[in-house]
Amino acid sequence: MFTTLLDALLFFTVTTPLMGLLTHKIGKREVVGVYSVLGFIVPLIFLLALYHKVLAEGVVVIMSGQSSLPPMGVCLEIDALSLFMVTIYLITGLMASIHSIRCMEYDTGLVGYYTALLSMVTGMVGVTLAGDLFTLFIFWEVMCISSYALVAFRKGRWEPVEAGYKYLIMSAAGSVTVLFAMSLLYGMAGTLNIAYLSVSLTQAEGGVWTYLTLTMIITGFGLQAGMAPLHTWLPDAHSAAPSPVSAVLSGAMVKAGAYSLIRTLIIIFAPMQTEWRVILAIFAVLTMFTGNLMALLQDDIKRLLAFSTIANMGYILMGLATQSLQGLTGCLFQILNHALSKVLLFLCVGSLVHQAKTRSLKELAGIWRTMPVTGTFFAVGAIAMAGIPPLNVFWSELAIILAGLEAGMLLFSALMVINMALSAAYCLRMIQIIVLKNATSTSKKATEAPLSMLIPPLMLTSLCIMIGFYPGPFQKMAEGAARAALDIQTYIYAVLQG
Amino acid sequence: MIPLTYYLACSMALYIIGFYCLVVKRNMIRLLIALEIMMNAASLNFIAFSTYGATGFTHPLAHAFTIISIGIGGCIVALGLAITLHAYRHYKTLDVRELRRLRR
Repeated sequence: MFTTLLDALLFFTVTTPLMGLLTHKIGKREVVGVYSVLGFIVPLIFLLALYHKVLAEGVVVIMSGQSSLPPMGVCLEIDALSLFMVTIYLITGLMASIHSIRCMEYDTGLVGYYTALLSMVTGMVGVTLAGDLFTLFIFWEVMCISSYALVAFRKGRWEPVEAGYKYLIMSAAGSVTVLFAMSLLYGMAGTLNIAYLSVSLTQAEGGVWTYLTLTMIITGFGLQAGMAPLHTWLPDAHSAAPSPVSAVLSGAMVKAGAYSLIRTLIIIFAPMQTEWRVILAIFAVLTMFTGNLMALLQDDIKRLLAFSTIANMGYILMGLATQSLQGLTGCLFQILNHALSKVLLFLCVGSLVHQAKTRSLKELAGIWRTMPVTGTFFAVGAIAMAGIPPLNVFWSELAIILAGLEAGMLLFSALMVINMALSAAYCLRMIQIIVLKNATSTSKKATEAPLSMLIPPLMLTSLCIMIGFYPGPFQKMAEGAARAALDIQTYIYAVLQG
Repeated sequence: MIPLTYYLACSMALYIIGFYCLVVKRNMIRLLIALEIMMNAASLNFIAFSTYGATGFTHPLAHAFTIISIGIGGCIVALGLAITLHAYRHYKTLDVRELRRLRR
């Protein structure tokens, strides 16, 4: 139907409830979790096959059927950028689902949880593979609706319900704004295919309607990406959701927003580059400052990490705003690095919260003494997040700053350097509290996390360290993706030729 | 035949009404209805454009999109109402301004 990759994900999403029903009869609750882990591993194998195909052909276009070809019908369009993002989503989902098996052991309704987790990742993968706005929007909503349900998953407490409602209203308003923009684009061009839209809009630049559409697209997708004036849902949703869900939200879902911005702005709004570059750069700096300054003030550790995510989305948007190959490489490399280290941090925090039953930094002080392994992984993640040289995030931030200087955005680059110092400040504060301070009574009672909660952080830590010491191959991968994103002609011709 | 501009003006008005409700209203269920109004504005746009795009021919893609987006809107509202129900159990009110314990 779609690609084998999406088919496999859909298959596992649909069969998880059935599996839950079967295992309910036997009385083994963990089986559903293991099944969902399988549901992330199998698509990863199909992803490898797809990767070889894309490597050979450049851009793979999959039509929905012979009767409805692109300007009318719908299609999937897969290039190096899509695969780069899909890899991040699947790895994030896999780590989160392994971690969930023990992290969620006290909760009920786990079948729904794993189904929603799988369908959320399915939605993100679909958004990334979509070749037209119709497909993109439907998968976008699949992703959003599952994430609303996951944020409000622990519905017995007031906090997730409040955060979930706030998130639902804000995010749905953003999606509707995007839908409205899509209807205007459809009116202008008579099609929803991204490639055909790009061709049609080169003639129709500069009108009021085009600007309105551009504003609406940036607003709607930017909301999901945590762009500054519209970021208020993000800290609430991240801190109220279960920790593995926060990891997926922060590591993958906000990136789906960034991906949609990259795709639509670069390909559809190519003629209006000069306008959206400046707008985006201003919003990027605003986002960085909001995230970093608010993160300095937090006591709730998950809220702190959520604000740090906002700041990092600022860096990513900054990389996109430079609109050069180097800047976009930095942007995508930052997406990868931030996903790895933030998922690591959220999963470690998940273990800490699971063992110590509190999210307050004051009470978690000195927990490294009782949970040395998790504490060490956390410290590595925090050092990476601080942008300290031997680890991964440093390289991508450096790339973005250099690209900014090259693109002549001197002021914005200088502001980003200040922000890096701020982010180092709160990351080091976290390390100081968790590792160096004397243990409080809460953290004295905690014991080391079980093995299955240590495996995902271990893998992510080793990836962070590996990218830190050998950034070359990973940066090359990001560069390949950035080159594919900027190569508008190939993307368009792949569809036009059928 | 009614000119296309009228439909556009109407859908713009619907969008603005929805946005206004979203900003001003306090009732949690009304906010969901506001979202639904905004979604209908987009649907109206799609249908109008599909009919006026070429004379004597209706574009099927927009109709398919509209039908699916109506379904999606239903899903969002259903989930929103479920969350509203739980919020009512916790807060004993539907006033959205009471839901601000998280703001620190």
